[in-house]
Amino acid sequence: MDIFELRKPQITRRDFIKAASAALVLLGLSQALTPKVVKALEKSAGKPAVIWLEGQDCAGCVESFLNSLEPDAVSILLDTISLRYNETAMAASGHQAEDALAKTVEEGGYILVIEGAIPLAEDGLFCTIGGKPFKDIVHECASNAAAIICVGSCATYGGIPRSGPTDAVGYLYRGTQKHHYFDDVGEKPVINLPTCPLHCERLVAVIIHYLTFSTVPELDEFQRPLAFYGENQHENCERRGHFDAGRFLTDWGDPEQQGWCLYLKGCKGPWANQDCWKRLWNNRTNYCIQANHPCVACSEPEFYESVSPMYERQFDVEFPGIGRVDIDKIMLTIGGAVAAGIGLDMAVSKITGDWKDNGETNANKEGKES
Amino acid sequence: MAQRIVIDPITRIEGHLKIEVEVENGVVKDAWSAGTMARGWEVLLKDRDPRDAPYITSRVCGVCEGVHAIASAQALDHAFDVEIPEAGRLMRNLFCGGLYLHDHFIHFYVLSALDYLDIMAVAGYSGSDAGLLAIKDKIVALVQNNDTSPFTPRYEPDEFSVNDPEIVTTLVSHYIKSIEMKAKSQKMLNIICGVQPHPNTIIAGGCTATPSREELIEFRELWEEQVQFVNEIYLPDVTAVGTGPLLPLATAGLGATTGNYLCYPMFPQSAPMGTVEYSFGGGNPLVKGGTLMTGEVNPTLSVNYDGITEAVAHSWYEYPAGVDSLHPSEGITEYNVRKDGAYSFVKAPRYSGEPMEVGPLARGLVNQYPELMNLIGMGAKPGAVARHFCRAVESKLVGEAGLVWIDRLIELATTGPIVGMNDQPVPRSARGMGAWDAPRGALAHWVDIQDYRIKNYQLVVPSTWNASPRDEKQMRGPYEQSLLGCPVPDVDNPINVVRIIRSFDPCLACAIHLIDPETNDIKVYKIR
Repeated sequence: MDIFELRKPQITRRDFIKAASAALVLLGLSQALTPKVVKALEKSAGKPAVIWLEGQDCAGCVESFLNSLEPDAVSILLDTISLRYNETAMAASGHQAEDALAKTVEEGGYILVIEGAIPLAEDGLFCTIGGKPFKDIVHECASNAAAIICVGSCATYGGIPRSGPTDAVGYLYRGTQKHHYFDDVGEKPVINLPTCPLHCERLVAVIIHYLTFSTVPELDEFQRPLAFYGENQHENCERRGHFDAGRFLTDWGDPEQQGWCLYLKGCKGPWANQDCWKRLWNNRTNYCIQANHPCVACSEPEFYESVSPMYERQFDVEFPGIGRVDIDKIMLTIGGAVAAGIGLDMAVSKITGDWKDNGETNANKEGKES
Repeated sequence: MAQRIVIDPITRIEGHLKIEVEVENGVVKDAWSAGTMARGWEVLLKDRDPRDAPYITSRVCGVCEGVHAIASAQALDHAFDVEIPEAGRLMRNLFCGGLYLHDHFIHFYVLSALDYLDIMAVAGYSGSDAGLLAIKDKIVALVQNNDTSPFTPRYEPDEFSVNDPEIVTTLVSHYIKSIEMKAKSQKMLNIICGVQPHPNTIIAGGCTATPSREELIEFRELWEEQVQFVNEIYLPDVTAVGTGPLLPLATAGLGATTGNYLCYPMFPQSAPMGTVEYSFGGGNPLVKGGTLMTGEVNPTLSVNYDGITEAVAHSWYEYPAGVDSLHPSEGITEYNVRKDGAYSFVKAPRYSGEPMEVGPLARGLVNQYPELMNLIGMGAKPGAVARHFCRAVESKLVGEAGLVWIDRLIELATTGPIVGMNDQPVPRSARGMGAWDAPRGALAHWVDIQDYRIKNYQLVVPSTWNASPRDEKQMRGPYEQSLLGCPVPDVDNPINVVRIIRSFDPCLACAIHLIDPETNDIKVYKIR
């Protein structure tokens, strides 16, 4: 077949107004700001340089970023930012890639995006690029950055790799604890965008917010934007009514139980602060609980170490007027009623208990023991 | 006088890969591949609740993501001794089918195309197509602003690079379109996954999602759009380029391995036939498993899973004295970074003692994809171009089969909520194995459960097979083998080396998942 006969898709260049408007929606800001955002975006000759580093990563966050449809990822890549270094997307390899990175670092003033955890054990040799430990690359790149955005659970707090033996940490945190490893870089705006993987809308909105106002959005104690991480999953869950009524799913194979509260299947919603329940994922299609899977609280610094075992409920439930009750006893008492879908005729006020996470990794725990 | 070239990082792959080659008289004489990142996945799974494994192993890789969840869930299904319901099997098939659809074309356009296109030829586009003129404007604007990131810097185009402005501009437009199509594919998959990338719903016993009939009809519409892109854009592009400008590379067999191929069965289309054991979720697979050994093109042999071993002669691991190789179910991970002659974190998997190429070319040859046989009839040899071609061909195959699965699921959804789970408790002690052919090749997980916890968890993944170092018999792994004889006329521009390596679609996060839990010992290694 002749390539000239191929159907050519109509690709139209999305204008900045559309991008600006979409970004304001993502951030929950007034559309009255549109002209200001458009003006900021139109300074395309001065597109901000972006370095996107990947350490102990899986490329899931860059994959997730590319899922942005409003505004679309290609427009952001080509019209809004100047992506100088990203191992997954860039043309250059080897020395050329290293040179592109060095040149951008020398110029300074770029946005640094970090994906993947940073292994500190054994002088950082669990992850090397171009022969250099990743922690040293992060240090160099952070030094001249204007702002640092950590994407995904790994780059923020260590994520799943934190449970491994490499002393994998986020840029500022090892779990809930600040590790101060990069303190000598100096004060920088650091924005943490946890969840596994990154939610693309949260990153796009933060970048555009930064380009427009040259500031970071309001953050919580773990450097997360309140606009995205300020509300609780459990408080807003669409299955909350079932929780309050004591209808807990115990068998995924039972058609009668579909849609019931997933707390007994290990749902960590009560500890999860995010807006997945209203933002949804993949262009507002679905999210974990709506897909009948428990929330695993990947938005939290304690993830994954404290949420394991994922499919076991971890804490007891407190009922008004009764107090704290062992949920296994509830199940014994009202087991028949739950199975029949009748439920409890009392409201569950809250779940008691909290994670005990001191931010230690397996690596430094082992180190202390030996 | 031989010259050494080190390429680190190899970009536009998943993970961190370093390739070193020795070039003499413009040709690669020897090659070494090494991964440079480890997280200790199998170590952190130890003593966990086995049910965590599909979620955690899915996070090994954000590109092939869900296939780990499937292989892991199958290993648990096997250990828990459960047969998953039809709806669970169909949703797993559709999840992985959708992954195949977008993963392959993203590999072609976004990860590989820049090795074959002189993207700056876009500036010479003189046609009148509005879409293509917009692409031209976009690229020209980058050039005028003196900032062509991320398309430059790059290796310089050579005589095999496509530089016809019309073709290049068309392909760049498809590069851009493919990113949008991938986002739409993941939107589609999210209907049964909850989150994309990284599905959550695929767990032991099936799939937790309960999509409504309406949602499945939306799923079907999105699937049809993917099939259209594959059949009308991706496959024709690969065919046009592979039988046109790149035919010389195809007939030269650039990037061929030794001719040993391995693939596992996938996309079961019926209930398990016989016992649950080793049924991998059902019978009658759309793509069958098999092996081809050098010189034995026919018949294709079925896979003997007991014939899989891992050697560590040139890897930073130590086995007991007198042991050269071990079956993964009995795998040992004892680290020794000071070992003489070792140069990689990757173990050396072997099948009947032989290195095996896994991936699209293995599936294509074992299953004798008709389009591949036609290409071979035109003089093409198995190698880099054939790998790209097989990906496009099987995308079409999976795309069309998927419509049957969706229609059956829609039928199931008309009589009530879909139930895709057979929810069973963790057994006190059991062993299980799960296998599936990931987009990059043969993937298997082994689990050993004792006292309701994971005692040992092992993965042997596609890029471990392909990126394997030498074994105790000094046999090179497939990447290393494929680089021998590769033309490198200019050592400062080793574009053929990256063309070959990227044709495998490397996934190093998957390949390296082992480190020593006892010592955490790891040191800088030098290849002598």
